[in-house]
Amino acid sequence: MAERLATLVGIYALLGLGYQIVFGQLRALNLAQGALFGVGAYATALTAPYLGPLALLVAPFVAAAAAALAAPPMLRLQSHYFALATLAFASLINLVAVNAEDLTGGANGLVGFGMSLPRGTILAVAVWLVVAAAVIAYSWVFAGAMGEKARLLRDAPLVAASVGIDAALWRFLAFVAGGACAGLAGGFSAALTGVVSPEVTGFPVMLLCLTAVVVGGTRHPLGAVLGAAVAVLLPELFRGLQGSWLLAYAAATLAVVLWAPEGLAGLFMRRRALPIPLAATPVSGGRRLALDHVSKRFGGVEALSDVSLTVDRGEIVGLIGPNGSGKTTLLNAIGGLEPADFGTITIDSMHLERLPAHAIARHGIGRTFQTPIEGETRGAGLARALATGAAFLLLDEPAAGMTDRERELLAGQLRGLRRDRGILLVDHDVELLTRVCDRLVCLDGGKVIATGSPLQVRADPRVRASFLGVPA
Amino acid sequence: MAYALVALGFVLALNASGAVNFAHGDLVVLGGAVAVLLAAWLGLPGFLLLPLVALALAGAGVLAAHVAILPLARRPPEASFVATIALAAMIEQTLTVTMGAAPRTAPPFLGSGAVTIAGVPLGLQPLAIVIVGAILVVALWFLLERTQVGRRMRAVAADRHMARAVGIPVRRYVTLSLALSGALAGIAGFLLGHQFLVTPTQGAGHMLKAYIAVALGGWGSVPGALIGALAIGLFETFVSAGIGDAWASAALYVAVLLVLTLRPRGLFGEPVGQRA
Amino acid sequence: MSIVLDTGDFSVAAGEIVALLGANGAGKTTTIESILGFRGGFRGPRAIRLFGEDVTSLPVERRVALGIGYVPERRRLFASLTVAENLEASSRLPAAQRRRRVHEMLAAFPMLGERPDARAWLLSGGQQQMLALARALMDRPRLLLLDEPTLGLAPVVVADLFARLRAAAAEGTAVLLSEQRASLALGIASRGVVLNRGRVVRLASARELANDPHLADLMAGG
Repeated sequence: MAERLATLVGIYALLGLGYQIVFGQLRALNLAQGALFGVGAYATALTAPYLGPLALLVAPFVAAAAAALAAPPMLRLQSHYFALATLAFASLINLVAVNAEDLTGGANGLVGFGMSLPRGTILAVAVWLVVAAAVIAYSWVFAGAMGEKARLLRDAPLVAASVGIDAALWRFLAFVAGGACAGLAGGFSAALTGVVSPEVTGFPVMLLCLTAVVVGGTRHPLGAVLGAAVAVLLPELFRGLQGSWLLAYAAATLAVVLWAPEGLAGLFMRRRALPIPLAATPVSGGRRLALDHVSKRFGGVEALSDVSLTVDRGEIVGLIGPNGSGKTTLLNAIGGLEPADFGTITIDSMHLERLPAHAIARHGIGRTFQTPIEGETRGAGLARALATGAAFLLLDEPAAGMTDRERELLAGQLRGLRRDRGILLVDHDVELLTRVCDRLVCLDGGKVIATGSPLQVRADPRVRASFLGVPA
Repeated sequence: MAYALVALGFVLALNASGAVNFAHGDLVVLGGAVAVLLAAWLGLPGFLLLPLVALALAGAGVLAAHVAILPLARRPPEASFVATIALAAMIEQTLTVTMGAAPRTAPPFLGSGAVTIAGVPLGLQPLAIVIVGAILVVALWFLLERTQVGRRMRAVAADRHMARAVGIPVRRYVTLSLALSGALAGIAGFLLGHQFLVTPTQGAGHMLKAYIAVALGGWGSVPGALIGALAIGLFETFVSAGIGDAWASAALYVAVLLVLTLRPRGLFGEPVGQRA
Repeated sequence: MSIVLDTGDFSVAAGEIVALLGANGAGKTTTIESILGFRGGFRGPRAIRLFGEDVTSLPVERRVALGIGYVPERRRLFASLTVAENLEASSRLPAAQRRRRVHEMLAAFPMLGERPDARAWLLSGGQQQMLALARALMDRPRLLLLDEPTLGLAPVVVADLFARLRAAAAEGTAVLLSEQRASLALGIASRGVVLNRGRVVRLASARELANDPHLADLMAGG
């Protein structure tokens, strides 16, 4: 009995660990983890008569394959839509389990395969060895730079893209790796019970997994183990309550959510996460960033119209213009966050205009944003852009929110960076721009209305009218 | 049309709390169960039970707000999501323990017979569902778009922090939204409970359909939820007549995946966008 | 002049514009939010008196009802509501007065009056800032709190905004304006409060501060 419970805790711990990768690290509300657990269980049950214990190894591959197959259309989706798509995917698996009777035995399920699989103590030891390996692997993967990248993806997906992190690839790998864990857990559970019926693909398994991870802690690997222990052992404690143990379990989950938000792991483990800076690579690459006839529309509004400009390494180009003139949109178009509709964007002869944001970042374009990430200083954004080794920096109002003295410091910093980089600088502080920029470009209504030395541009009557608030 | 009531209640709670209320489906079931119990105790006809059920479930909504939503207002949406999942399990288990797992029949709204209108025989219950549903949808639209209370409910949905800063008592409005949401769920559960019976485990199914309707219609959009729900109803009716219930559900999920693949933000897009 | 706001550290009188100066993280937003009642006393001022009454224990919505208009950092409009709805939802006046007041505000802000039925998130940055100000002025507040309203605005919009603040003050409204760029705010304020690390480090007339060579050091915490 105790051995059986221990095995069960291990199985749910493995399921939960896989879930933490997707839900905890990437904060993607995946509701298919329970169904992938079921896929693993069926895979093991179906192949056990032919493969014996090796059938356990089939489970993670089949579940990972199912996840990989379903993933591509779902990876683009945002939070709630991702949750819904995974839920629909899970419901499909469940329907197949119930209705494809030839394959799955329908509602009766599959029995009689258990003889060919390890049982008892061997199974318990195997499960816990796998759990231990998974905990170590998980800690190792998310301890360093990978953990920092996951944090960026979670808290600031746009920033993550701007430093070259491929969010779609991450989500794909996390989803598949999580699915493999779920599949293996499902295989073990088939070995433990000797029966596989459609219930293993059902929503209650998913609920158990989600609540266990939330109760234990969504990111710390031991949280999954603790959560699994609670999920398995609590029903034993409440055995006297008969059928209402689930009621007690639900109440306990609610209590943890309300009073211990970091989960049980958070109660006695300090988060030691110190952000480790992303590796800096030396500045290399092209000499000139060039935009040629770039246009962009939002609905009926022409946000950028026929914009052409260049930024060479070694110069700072200031981008000015009234609110809504398209400055941020232009930076987004260069960085690939809002791709241009027409025109070309090149570094030397390399075309960037059709590349995704993370690929553009890897070609040497660094970016800062108007709003810093919560808990970070403004300087962190610039440091991160520099750490990518970018040859060209796009800085969106780096001086906003700074005192006059801080502006001075920033100006000095920018002059230092100019030596081997090209900088496109958006700001409203014309005095600051005049002091640090080699050239100014003025946008109005998405069009370039003036370009030249700071003094020339400031003297331009159209610029004065639109931006400086001085009558033309 | 009953789906529409479920989905509208769901979207009201969603907007008020900023988080998916996973217990919404179980509030629907609870509505059916309350109707069954009240009918047994009081023996009143359906149309008199309706306000009682609505009132009882409004109370349940208030309870849900105070247990699983308001205390978690400052935490990430997953917290409320998991809390309401726990609440859903609690409702389901309580119903199983008190009523048993066997299906029960809720009383009809007017009667279970049929009337013939212009030569077409129409069941009284489906007719009642359509009429009650239509009245409630119009009433809800009027509330949200034409009254100060509704405008302020939408302001709370858009930005809770700022809503407080212009003097709106946000907790009271969240509670009110959840009460309305519960009442709509209860009425839907009552109306569905006659034709489709009341079983404690149905909650997740109701919730999933509301979720689909809201996601397809555009997250947080009230008219979108209505259209989404009607589309699901029509889809199920026609497809299940063709290929049977199980595969109709499968087809629905495949359709959802397809739609999301082609339109990652739902059929009608996101109404609340961010600029700059 | 009657004192409208007294935080214990500084006060603002009716008809007066006071600038709240400080660098990023100096505690300007904390100060304004604690006047509104969003935070417990920590870091911010200890006891708050509004209109001669001790409001330290009142919740946000009750304080606002006493007559505070608030323009938060980065505007925070109700994005899915229209321009007119943003104004109306933010008012506590009875229905008839409320509607009349919406029309008045739309007439007073022509760039809003042109498109009263546009959703707030479709407005340009300058229009959004004007809507945020109009929303705060709906119930004719006796105290107007603005948290870095000039952030990201073109000079021509800043000039319009400041003109409207002067007009509000001329009608007797007390105005507290937080701003990082001292030179900008001191051009409109009569007095300035300099914050550093959550504390008031200097309290002086605007002219005195504008001519103070050590102002930058004070703000930067040197």
